[in-house]
Amino acid sequence: MPGEIIPFQIRGRFLMALSLRVDVEADDAAFYERLDAQRETSPQFFDEAPMVIDLGNVPGMAEPERLRAMVAKLRERNLRVFGVQNPGAMSEEALQEMGLIPVLAGKDAPLPDARSTKRRRRAALRGVENKLVRAPVRSGQMVVCESGDLTVIGSVASGSEVVAGGNIHIYGRLRGRAMAGVHGDESARIFCQSLDAELLAIAGLYKTSETLEDTARDRATHVYLENERLCMEVIG
Amino acid sequence: MTVDLKEKPALGRVIVITSGKGGVGKTTSAAAISAGLAKQGHRTVVIDFDVGLRNLDMTMGCERRVVFDFINVIQGDARLKQALIRDKRLENLSILPTSQTRDKDALTKEGVEKVLDELKQEFDYIICDSPAGIEHGAQMAMYFADEAVVVTNPEVSSVRDSDRVLGLLSSQTKRAESADAEPVKAQVLLTRHDATRVETGEMMNVEDVLEILAVPLLGVIPESQAILRASNIGTPVVLDQPSAASRAYEDAVRRLTGEEVEMRIAGERRPGLFHRLFGRAS
Repeated sequence: MPGEIIPFQIRGRFLMALSLRVDVEADDAAFYERLDAQRETSPQFFDEAPMVIDLGNVPGMAEPERLRAMVAKLRERNLRVFGVQNPGAMSEEALQEMGLIPVLAGKDAPLPDARSTKRRRRAALRGVENKLVRAPVRSGQMVVCESGDLTVIGSVASGSEVVAGGNIHIYGRLRGRAMAGVHGDESARIFCQSLDAELLAIAGLYKTSETLEDTARDRATHVYLENERLCMEVIG
Repeated sequence: MTVDLKEKPALGRVIVITSGKGGVGKTTSAAAISAGLAKQGHRTVVIDFDVGLRNLDMTMGCERRVVFDFINVIQGDARLKQALIRDKRLENLSILPTSQTRDKDALTKEGVEKVLDELKQEFDYIICDSPAGIEHGAQMAMYFADEAVVVTNPEVSSVRDSDRVLGLLSSQTKRAESADAEPVKAQVLLTRHDATRVETGEMMNVEDVLEILAVPLLGVIPESQAILRASNIGTPVVLDQPSAASRAYEDAVRRLTGEEVEMRIAGERRPGLFHRLFGRAS
């Protein structure tokens, strides 16, 4: 409906949390000493980081009294504990009272090596992997570039999908679906030599062929996000 | 002449006639192309991959001579020589018909490869007539192909299906799976082209189709009564009386063998000529 203002917008968000897996039953002074030592090696990494406590290895700790004491000590250290993995028999009410949620979803990822920032930077560089496709993308095909820019030399057929974590460049006609910034990068852009897309999306905000701007249709176009709106600029 | 050809080692080129969409003219084209190749002196065999439906033998006019079929050969119930039917009009054209009582699951990759390898020893061109769709039968027909003829009608759904098939040819074939092989050489054959309907905008024009598919054009076959007639009397259109359609198929066959032939589109007025005549009259 034109003119109607929707007071909210719902979008999926991925967020990274640290998971603290407790491996000994006693969270004594030695436990916190080791934790503090680890924190000091990479303070930026730990400060204000959202954190989940994993009690999978210590079922004995899964009681409200002991957990409450532990959460308090962690929060003193500026660690933002918000959830518990493997909470055992503890009730959801007891967790809620401590401001915790039971975490079921998610998966483990390796912790970046905090000691060597150089190595980390190199890893980050390697993390951006651009992809080049030198053939037309055919109907029914899906080309994904997880992290980085996707360049297609050729057209993208109707009924096909091109997906990238970064920007998408198409040296040909875009008739299919193009999704840039799929991990939430709002600065991602889509470029194509001729726009006739079924769907355009940047960071989850999309337009379909019916809502494309008529001025951009069949023209070389630059698509970007501005004030949470998909904008199309004719560039040739 | 024939003796000379027989002494040469067989070329053994596997060409799949495919489309994705049904009813666009795959079997008609497979019959016309294989007859055209044989007419030019190439040892040619055409295989029906449409297991369960069996149309090729009717189009070729040999349905009463089928004893053993492709599936019998794959399953070892008959030898290849027993199943091959030699065409009565062209001695270097053979047909390998398929079974009507089995289904496409009877086609196995190993079985198809074995039959094709044996045919490669004796034939220059092995034409595989694919069933419609993109399922098992169609995948078996295209898997071992060296070249593909993608039969397309000038309308959007046919073009989109052809585009899908071109994607499969570049990913689901033996050549695509082996890193050092050349990719399958795919060309589009535009069939049921009607110049008057293109002019009125009811049909897509050749340029639009090629712009979407982005592969070379093998030929443009006009919509023609001659094709229906030839099909009904069980004769490949190139062996029937001359028509615009048979000429277009013959040109396509020559292009398939590597000759350069100027593209003639039947019924299409040459740009400029019409206007020139019109201009003079008024």
